[in-house]
Amino acid sequence: MNARWFLNTVGWMVRDTFRQSLAAGIFWVLLGLSGVCILVCLSAGTRGSANLELTENMPEFLPPTDPEAQDRQRAAKEGVAIIDGELTLGFGAVKVPLARDARTAVHCLELILAGGVADTAGLLLTLIWTAGFLPGFLDRRHITVLLAKPAPRWWLLAGKFCGVLAFVLLHATIFVGGTWLALGLRTGVWSTGYFWAVPLLLLHFAIFFSFSLLLAVCTRSTVVCVFGSIAFWMLCWGMNYGRHALALAKQIAPESSFSPSVTWLADAGYWLLPKPGDLSILLFDKLDASTFFKQLFDVAALRSAGFFSLELSVLSSVAFMLYLLVAAGRQFATTDY
Amino acid sequence: MPATPANAVEFHNVRKVFRRGLWPRARAIQALRGASFTVPAGSLFGLLGPNRAGKTTLVKILLTISRPTSGTIQRLDRPWADRRTLARVGFVHEHQSFAAYLTARGLLDYYGALSRVAKSDLRQRIPALLDEVGLADRAGDPIATFSKGMLQRLALAQALVANPELLVLDEPAEGMDLLARQMLHGVLRKRQRLGHTALLVSHSLADVESLCDRVAVMRAGEVAFTGPLDELVGDTDQNEPRDLEDALEPLYAGAAP
Repeated sequence: MNARWFLNTVGWMVRDTFRQSLAAGIFWVLLGLSGVCILVCLSAGTRGSANLELTENMPEFLPPTDPEAQDRQRAAKEGVAIIDGELTLGFGAVKVPLARDARTAVHCLELILAGGVADTAGLLLTLIWTAGFLPGFLDRRHITVLLAKPAPRWWLLAGKFCGVLAFVLLHATIFVGGTWLALGLRTGVWSTGYFWAVPLLLLHFAIFFSFSLLLAVCTRSTVVCVFGSIAFWMLCWGMNYGRHALALAKQIAPESSFSPSVTWLADAGYWLLPKPGDLSILLFDKLDASTFFKQLFDVAALRSAGFFSLELSVLSSVAFMLYLLVAAGRQFATTDY
Repeated sequence: MPATPANAVEFHNVRKVFRRGLWPRARAIQALRGASFTVPAGSLFGLLGPNRAGKTTLVKILLTISRPTSGTIQRLDRPWADRRTLARVGFVHEHQSFAAYLTARGLLDYYGALSRVAKSDLRQRIPALLDEVGLADRAGDPIATFSKGMLQRLALAQALVANPELLVLDEPAEGMDLLARQMLHGVLRKRQRLGHTALLVSHSLADVESLCDRVAVMRAGEVAFTGPLDELVGDTDQNEPRDLEDALEPLYAGAAP
C-alpha cells in the first residue's frame, strides 16, 4: 500500500515538473533545439558510390583526398577502389567527401551530435535551464501547504528529482531518436549503437543535477543553483583532466618534480568528485568513436599504468550522486519552513 | 474512520527557538515560550494575538512544517510526528501561493491526490467544492488569472478537498469580499454541525466573534488566555459583557510593537 502511495506521489511530482517545464517554455525550447538538429539530419544525404561492401575480404580503398588516389588508372590497375561518394548537408548546399563509406560518415555525424551537441552544449544548457525547477517548487509560499500533506518530505523531493530526470530522458530520447530516424531515412544507415547516448546522457545529467538539488534545498535560489552547478561542473572537469594529466606526466617523466602532497590532493579530488571527463570516455567507447576522434588523453596508457578504471570511475561518480541525494533529503526533512 | 478524539489538538509546553545569522554572530529568537492549550474536537477555536505572538509558528509546528525545540503536540489523538493524521487535516496558509500554470480543477486534483483521496472521490468532490466556494465557472481557468479573493476561495477549497476532520485556517478571510466572508462562515458552521473542528487564526475580531466558541490569546510566545469566548468578553469586575476589542486590549498590552 505504501509503495503504491509512494509511486502515486512520485507520479504527481513528475506530472507537476512537466507542467512547470511547459509553463516556463523550457519544454518547447529544448524541443525546438532537437527539431533544428533533426531538420539538419533530414537535409543530409549521400551521393555517388557511398557504400563499401562489408565482406570478410575487404577491398583495398582510398579516400578521394588521398594523393595516391589522384592517379585513378593506376589505382584501378592495382585493384584499389577510390571512394567517390560524398555526404551532403543542407539539401546539397554543403558537400563533404566521404572518407570511407556512408555508414562511417553517418556514424561520424552521430558522434558529433551525441558528444558535441548533446553531451557538452546540450547538457550544460539543460543544467542551467532546469536549475530553476527546484527553487520554484521550494518557494516558501508554494511548498508550505504541500508540506502539511501526509506524504513524507523526501517523497516530494524524490518525485521532483525523478520528474526532472524524466523530462531530460524524454528530450534525450527525442533528440537521439529523431536524429537517428532522420539520418536513417535519408541515408539508409541505421546504427543502433547510437542509442547508448540516451542512458549515458541521462547519467551524466543526473550526477550534476544532484548537486543543483542540494543547492536548491539549502538556498532556494535559482541564481545560486545556476552558477553553482556551472562552477561545480567546471571544477569536476578540471579535477578530472588535471589528475589524468598529472598521472600521464609522471608516467612519461618519472623524475618530474610533483610533490607527493599535490599528487595526493589530485588523487583525492579525482576520486571524491564526479568525473565528467571519464563519463565522456565511456560515451566515446560505447559509440565506438575511436575511428574518428582521438581522446584528449592516452586512455590506454593511463589504463595500463593502473591509473584508470572506467568501472570504478563511473561507480564513484554514482556514489557521489547518491551521497548528495541523501544529504539533500536530510536537509529538506529537517528544514523549518 | 478513526474514533473522534476528545481533543482535536493538544499543545503541552511547546517551545521554539530560531537561530538567526551565522556563527559567531548567531542569535537565538524565542518564538514560543512554553505554549499550552487544547482545542476540543468539534469546536470552532480562535487563535488570537498581536503580531509576532507566535500564532503562525504554532500552526506550522502543528502541521509539521516546522519542528518544535521542545514540548509535546497531539494531533487527532496521535503524536505530532505521525504524518498519517495529516490526511485528515486541511490547511489554509496566510501567504498562500499556487503554481500559476495549474487550473483550479487541476490544483484540487493534485492536492487531493497528495492527501490520499481516491480518484473516484475526487471526481465527485471537486465540482461540488468549486461550486461551494463560488469558483465553478472558473474551474478550467489558469490560476494566474485569479484575483486575491478568488485565490483565497481556492485555498479554502484545497483545504476541504480531503473532507478533513480538522481545518487549520491562518487568516483565511484576508482579501475576501463580503460575500466570500459569508461563504466562509457558512462553510465553517456547516462543518461544525458535522462534528468537525476548525482552528482559526485571525486578526479579524468580527470573524472570531461571530464564529468561535473558544479562543486562545497568545502574547510574546506564551498563552495569555484560553477558554470560552464568553468568558473572555464577560468581564467579571464590571458584570457586563465587553466587546472583544476591549477584552483583548489588556491581554495584548506589553507585546512587542
